[in-house]
Amino acid sequence: MRERHASRTFDVINAIAILFFVLICLAPFLHIIAISLSSARAIMTGEVSLIPVDLNWNAYKQVFSDMSMIRSLGFTVMLTLLFTLLCMLMTIAAAYPLAKTGLKGRKPLMFIIVITMFFSGGIIPEYMLVRNLHLLDTVWALVLPGLISPFYLIILITFFQNIPDSLEESAQIDGSSYIRTLVSIIIPLSLPVIATLSLFYAVGRWNGFTDTLMYITSPEMYPLQLKLYQLVQNNMVSELMQMEGASGQSMLQPESLKAASVIFATVPILIVYPWLQRYFVNGVMIGAVKG
Amino acid sequence: MSPVSGRNRKQKGANALKLGMYFRRHWQLYALLILPISYFLLFKYGPMYGVIIAFKDFNFFQGINGSKWIGFDAFREVFAMKDFYKTLRNTLMLNFLDLLLSFPAPLILAIMLYELKSVWFKKLSQTILYIPHFISWVIIGGIVYQVFGTQSGMINNIVTSLGFDAIPFLTDKNDWLLTYLLVGVWQSAGWGTIIYLAALTGINKELFEAAEVDGAGRLRKIWSITLPSLKPTIVTLLIINLGNMIAIGFERPYIIGNTAVREYSDVLSTFVYRIGIESGQYTLATVVGLFQAVVGLVFVLGANYASKKLADQSIL
Amino acid sequence: MAINAKTKKKTSILLALTLVCTLLLSACGGKDKENGSSGNSGASGKQVTLKVEVFDRGNSPAGSTITNNYLTNYVQDNFGKPNNINVQFVPVPRSEEVKKLNVLMASGGDVPDIVFTYDSATFYRYAQQGGLTELSELIEQHAPNLKSFLGEDTLAYGQFEGQQFAIPAKRSHLGKYSSFIRQDWLDKLNLPIPQTTDELYNTLKAFKEKDPGQTGGKVIPLGMALAPAQYEPLIWSFIQPLTDEQRITLTQQLGSRDYPTLLPGFKDALQFMNKLYNEGLMSVDFSLDEDKKKLSEDVSKGLVGFFSEDDMNPFYPDGMYATLQANNPGATLTSVDVYSNSEGKHPKPEYAPIGLFIMIPKTSDRAVEAIKYLDWMASENNLFNMQNGVEGENYTLKDGVPVMKADATEEAKNRIYNWGDMAIISNGKQLGDADKNVEAYVLGMPEQYQDETRRALTVSRNDTFKPVKFDRPIEAQNKYGTGLLDKFHEIVVQTTMAKPDKFESTFESMMKDYMANGGQAILDERTKVYESMK
Repeated sequence: MRERHASRTFDVINAIAILFFVLICLAPFLHIIAISLSSARAIMTGEVSLIPVDLNWNAYKQVFSDMSMIRSLGFTVMLTLLFTLLCMLMTIAAAYPLAKTGLKGRKPLMFIIVITMFFSGGIIPEYMLVRNLHLLDTVWALVLPGLISPFYLIILITFFQNIPDSLEESAQIDGSSYIRTLVSIIIPLSLPVIATLSLFYAVGRWNGFTDTLMYITSPEMYPLQLKLYQLVQNNMVSELMQMEGASGQSMLQPESLKAASVIFATVPILIVYPWLQRYFVNGVMIGAVKG
Repeated sequence: MSPVSGRNRKQKGANALKLGMYFRRHWQLYALLILPISYFLLFKYGPMYGVIIAFKDFNFFQGINGSKWIGFDAFREVFAMKDFYKTLRNTLMLNFLDLLLSFPAPLILAIMLYELKSVWFKKLSQTILYIPHFISWVIIGGIVYQVFGTQSGMINNIVTSLGFDAIPFLTDKNDWLLTYLLVGVWQSAGWGTIIYLAALTGINKELFEAAEVDGAGRLRKIWSITLPSLKPTIVTLLIINLGNMIAIGFERPYIIGNTAVREYSDVLSTFVYRIGIESGQYTLATVVGLFQAVVGLVFVLGANYASKKLADQSIL
Repeated sequence: MAINAKTKKKTSILLALTLVCTLLLSACGGKDKENGSSGNSGASGKQVTLKVEVFDRGNSPAGSTITNNYLTNYVQDNFGKPNNINVQFVPVPRSEEVKKLNVLMASGGDVPDIVFTYDSATFYRYAQQGGLTELSELIEQHAPNLKSFLGEDTLAYGQFEGQQFAIPAKRSHLGKYSSFIRQDWLDKLNLPIPQTTDELYNTLKAFKEKDPGQTGGKVIPLGMALAPAQYEPLIWSFIQPLTDEQRITLTQQLGSRDYPTLLPGFKDALQFMNKLYNEGLMSVDFSLDEDKKKLSEDVSKGLVGFFSEDDMNPFYPDGMYATLQANNPGATLTSVDVYSNSEGKHPKPEYAPIGLFIMIPKTSDRAVEAIKYLDWMASENNLFNMQNGVEGENYTLKDGVPVMKADATEEAKNRIYNWGDMAIISNGKQLGDADKNVEAYVLGMPEQYQDETRRALTVSRNDTFKPVKFDRPIEAQNKYGTGLLDKFHEIVVQTTMAKPDKFESTFESMMKDYMANGGQAILDERTKVYESMK
């Protein structure tokens, strides 16, 4: 009885603490949503905190009627899918052999990989490479250079190493080849971490745009985050406006439009994690060993 | 033919045969590695000649090969800058504090989530907790100001209405450290739980039942079952974090930092941005980058070695 | 068996995705460069391609893209076609313009034929490293209109060691800053508009003590931010009158502006700021407000009594003044010139008479066509049409000044949405003289603010001084400029916010740091150049 009481106290405290964190994580998001639905006057006066003031949907109407935003959304989704798929294929293909500590040549290969985590050539040589491969202004310029993250690779290797050897051995006794073992046993057992790394790759690609700035010139291929960045950064500080002789009117971006674009660019990727959660299935591995 | 060399030759032959057999048996593993390794060689090592820029007086139009060789002159120049040492100190200091605070936070949070009984609350919390990770730093900057501002920040409004003096969260360099760390935790903790939660799914539930029978309380169970099962993940992440002590992201110090606290907020990344990128001085920027790369590699190798000895785990 | 089903499902998803992405590839990957430039210079017969950079701010209206819109078509129809040139615009995101330009220049092949930047240090670097085409011959031969439009003074800014490596755009309005005061507060307290800095101090104190705005103690007499528009008018008013030698050697150009760190009187300026801050007469968080957002908020909320700003900024629709009056109908602002120096004048910096630095990379084969394009823009009404659109639909003429129609259709307005970025030879609308140019800005503001705008744009041109100009770049400035600018801000912030008894020591140590990190180097170099110029 005593233990149950203590256990319940633990649960309550735990839940309250989590609730607190949830609220401080949610609050800024609500704030941005509130801004996206408020009037310019209220925003400028600083009246808007968590609820919209002078509620209006103009900003969203503008975003959704902007065909370039919609197109960019479509393009970004495609790009992210392609990227995540290829990255995971490559990362899994590399992690499986490298997880085997007995593999000949493993140490030098790991070394080669770890070095790239620190040393890089810089933007100009990287640009030259992409250009010499004729990848400029193509979708491959956004996919190939980041194909494998050494960091994620190492995480996957660690996970693979923690799969009991007995599973592999029994498969091999049954005559299974390496590749077959990988596909039919190892991957299914590693779904949680594969789902996680896919999420990491996807989010990285979804949020990233600095490479686009360098490699892409066609506006049709601007990812969503780049368009967002342009909107937010081009908040022409008035000094800049003067310096650039603007007439003023066409250059000011309303805060509400910026906020609406932020929501537009963030919500899609936010939904991915809950969807992936079903891959975090408990107990799959244990059953296999037992059997 | 000396018997020694003769034996060697035979040995070599036998070894070669063994090697051949080895490759034939395990060819699939190497086949899997072909594309990934090619990727690294082409896209990572291909451009790596760029580090030479650190040793040249880079001229855009003469290119890397055409630019004049200056040896270590640029290094001497950078190491003579007082600001370099200040930013180096700040980088290490901020990263060390982050290690103390931001590293354990996702772990603790993950365990808390894992212990939640209500499934729907758990799923909902997880999703909401990592929202901050998605908000761009430019926007976070504005929000930080509104929350922590001295005159009209949310927190100080409460503090002053209670009769106390406003706390200069953003303008006093020591208070700023706290703000910097807290914002870092807020931004990354939720996201960091994902990897731990994935690892936690692999725990055998029967272990908990057995511990219950032995009379273990909640905290005891966490200590002896949950944590140990996370050991590999924790150690790997720790090694990588230690290796990154010398590197530091650009956005958080740049956005959260400000002129009043530059004494602490100026770090290697903002230093490079200022003297290198903005002024188009690629040589100086490359010098600092190279310095960071060498030190970082040494750190990671050191941390890896220590972990091999202490925790029997290594990434190499 | 569960595993097999999963594997099958995975495989089919994989196939589907691969199919989709291959389609994607074929759609995007093969972005053909249809107009590969032909090798020969297109004197006649063969069409050639001219690639012109254009800033992309991500605000193209529906129906147009940055590379295909009313203005690009106007250029092609009126310049491209008659000259058998295909004008192609290459977009560069405005926010990364220097970085991207650096990469393009370094890569050699992909750089457009016409590039530009606002950053003079970048221009000097390219010129010094030998990457730009020398233009004086070409201008003589092909660009008489351009030459007369710009004039010798403007062109001089694009010279490097006597050679013409850039064509600077001409700036139409040189004024920068004005100050503004709450007229209704003055009226309430029966106070006159302050004419000197001392009078201002007393007025600020009155604002604080009497709180005419009834802010409940939250009044901010002097609205301050960490931006040039706010601190420059104050600081420069304390600088003592200078000899030519002092002006040339002691001024420090950091980034694009001249700074008075070493000029006599700088310390007094900081002392004044320290006094104001410690007496609670200034925005408390000014050091955090680099983008003036907090200042705008405070002004709009009616808390601020007096502030300096870019001359036009308060008057935009939905801007500070409009929001202030929306919240507070009785509030009025007057444009004033208050900060005064020992001679009773109100010294303020003005812009150099230039805008963009337009350059032609040395690797370009189309230098002739590029110059012709710029000359075309300076001829007849081309510039005017690009900046204003169609008469009757976009604007009406009032005494030779184009008044933008407030009721113009969306379609008409969107025509010229990026005229500022397309009409690169001019910064602002050029109508012949400074006053007319000012009128163009004035008439673009909401009607109720036009008088005040005109007043502000007159204040900003009053008692101004030009930036110091050398005929060669100062190396040390290019090297240390950006870093020293940050240090300058640090000096201002730390000395202002220091407790009064700590002011001296803070100032001394910060100045030492400033000098050691490039300030001395710049001083030495400027002195040397001055000596050689004598």
